[in-house]
Amino acid sequence: MTSAESETVLEVRGLRAVRGGAVVIENGCFRIAKGEYAGIVGPNGGGKTTLLQTILGYHPRTEGEIFLFGQPADRFKDWQRIAYTPQDAIHFDEQFPLTVRELVSLGRVRRSNLLRRLNGKDWEKVDETMELMGVSEISERRIGQLSGGQKQRAFVAKALALDPELLILDEPTSGLDASGQESFYKVLGNINKERGTTIVVVSHDLAAVFCRMTQVICVNKYIHQTGDLNVAERLLRGAYGNHFRFVMHGDCECCCVPEDV
Amino acid sequence: MFGDLFTLLGMSFFQRALIGGCLVSVICAAIGLFVVLRKESMIGDSAAHISFGGIAVGLLLGVQPMIMATVFSVAAILGMDFMKKRGIAQSDSAMAIFMAMGFSVGLIAIGLSNGFSISIMDYLFGSILTISGSDLAVISVLGIAVLSAIFILLKEFIAMTFDSISSKMNGIPTELLSVLFNVMMAVTVVLTIKVVGIILVLALMVVPSLAALQLKTSFRKTLLAAVMFGAFSTFTGIIVSGMVDLPAAGVIVFTDVAILLLLVAYKHLGKEPGNAVPPIKETKTFRT
Ligand SMILES: Nc1ncnc2c1ncn2[C@@H]1O[C@H](COP(=O)(O)OP(=O)(O)O)[C@@H](O)[C@H]1O
Ligand SMILES: [Mg+2]
Repeated sequence: MTSAESETVLEVRGLRAVRGGAVVIENGCFRIAKGEYAGIVGPNGGGKTTLLQTILGYHPRTEGEIFLFGQPADRFKDWQRIAYTPQDAIHFDEQFPLTVRELVSLGRVRRSNLLRRLNGKDWEKVDETMELMGVSEISERRIGQLSGGQKQRAFVAKALALDPELLILDEPTSGLDASGQESFYKVLGNINKERGTTIVVVSHDLAAVFCRMTQVICVNKYIHQTGDLNVAERLLRGAYGNHFRFVMHGDCECCCVPEDV
Repeated sequence: MFGDLFTLLGMSFFQRALIGGCLVSVICAAIGLFVVLRKESMIGDSAAHISFGGIAVGLLLGVQPMIMATVFSVAAILGMDFMKKRGIAQSDSAMAIFMAMGFSVGLIAIGLSNGFSISIMDYLFGSILTISGSDLAVISVLGIAVLSAIFILLKEFIAMTFDSISSKMNGIPTELLSVLFNVMMAVTVVLTIKVVGIILVLALMVVPSLAALQLKTSFRKTLLAAVMFGAFSTFTGIIVSGMVDLPAAGVIVFTDVAILLLLVAYKHLGKEPGNAVPPIKETKTFRT
């Protein structure tokens, strides 16, 4: 095994996933190396959520292989190294009595501190992670009273509280305005650079994906991956359909427009 | 009247009732908060109804009815959980099956014995004022065991109740803890039967928590408030029933509901509309 291979955090080969009798993912292959900031894009219903659920074992795979940190997913035990925030995470029961700080502290609850209280180091980490995600000022607010963007940040803080090596987020910016999305992906970028956390994020914000991320994975039943922006447009057409043109202008903007406009 | 109260407070049956009643209410409210948040209130109610079968069979066979009720209640809660997880029946169907079984077995047992209808009434409507020393001993031992488990596993139970997927990823044995929680709930149901009877178990479980949830505060404060509301209502209920000769169970639950309604009214008078009492009748399947 070469060192490049040993640094593969996530690899999927020949994956097929079926949902309600229909094939949702067909012959899917991609690979994400350590330290990557990868964006998963694709139309609604394209299978992005199903792909993540299959990788994490919440949805059965019909065919193919999945490797997490080089180990086959069925034999993988070290789930603590991965943090996952599902698409519907912020649609929790608003009556649930938790403050932001309590929510983030739940991220530190793990096997090794079973039967013990969270200690000083745990709370230090909780406060540090809240600071990082910009939710320190609202730490005593109840999570049911937060805005969409604050909820998203609080949930990512919870996911980061255990210093995962791989952070997987499913559409974490739905419900955020453009500037909210922009700053959210910037914060993720900083975490990726400073902590070396590998990040895989499903996003509809193509500008953020193309400007900030190092890998683009297009999912629309078939999976295509590229680290090269020049190839990305072709992939996006494959995913969203040929009648879209992807207009890149400036450094950091991208929009997709129907071709006859 | 207050002279009566001091005489009552000096009597050992009354002291037992106060101690046992308040202890049970504390456990019941603590478990109840998780039950409400897991949207499993109806499971607690089913367990209470199934206990009826256990009590009747216990009386028929001459086995301590509370022990038989515990066996029935634990078996039923684990059975319902098993059926739900294996996809044999949906949560509400599983509850209906076990409730039907428990109650019908109870009625048959009563029919076979045709003699203990008076003592069965105590179990239907509660009989905290007739609590014996050995009852209090059972309540104390089981109650303290349940309370310690909640205390020791508090952060795990909160984490699992809020988000069992992440808890499982972090290596928490969610399946095992889920079984443990269910057993604790079953035991609590049986202890509560002694205080308010089968029919009002659900009230004692969920009403203090629903009231505490109105405070909109942190988890730990909500839990503390639920426990205090529960203990206060039971204390008040037993005192009042001792003084004016009303059924304790009725006064206890009435006090609980009064606290809830006062809090709801206070909130809706002062603030924006739309924060209704959370629904308690749904049941939701949780991944463990
Ligand atoms: N619970 C479900 N049961 C049946 N089909 C589903 C379910 N969830 C999603 N699907 C179907 O699977 C396909 C992929 O959905 P999903 O993975 O959620 O896509 P995406 O996350 O890319 O929007 C869609 O066609 C959707 O209709
Ligand atoms: Mg999705």
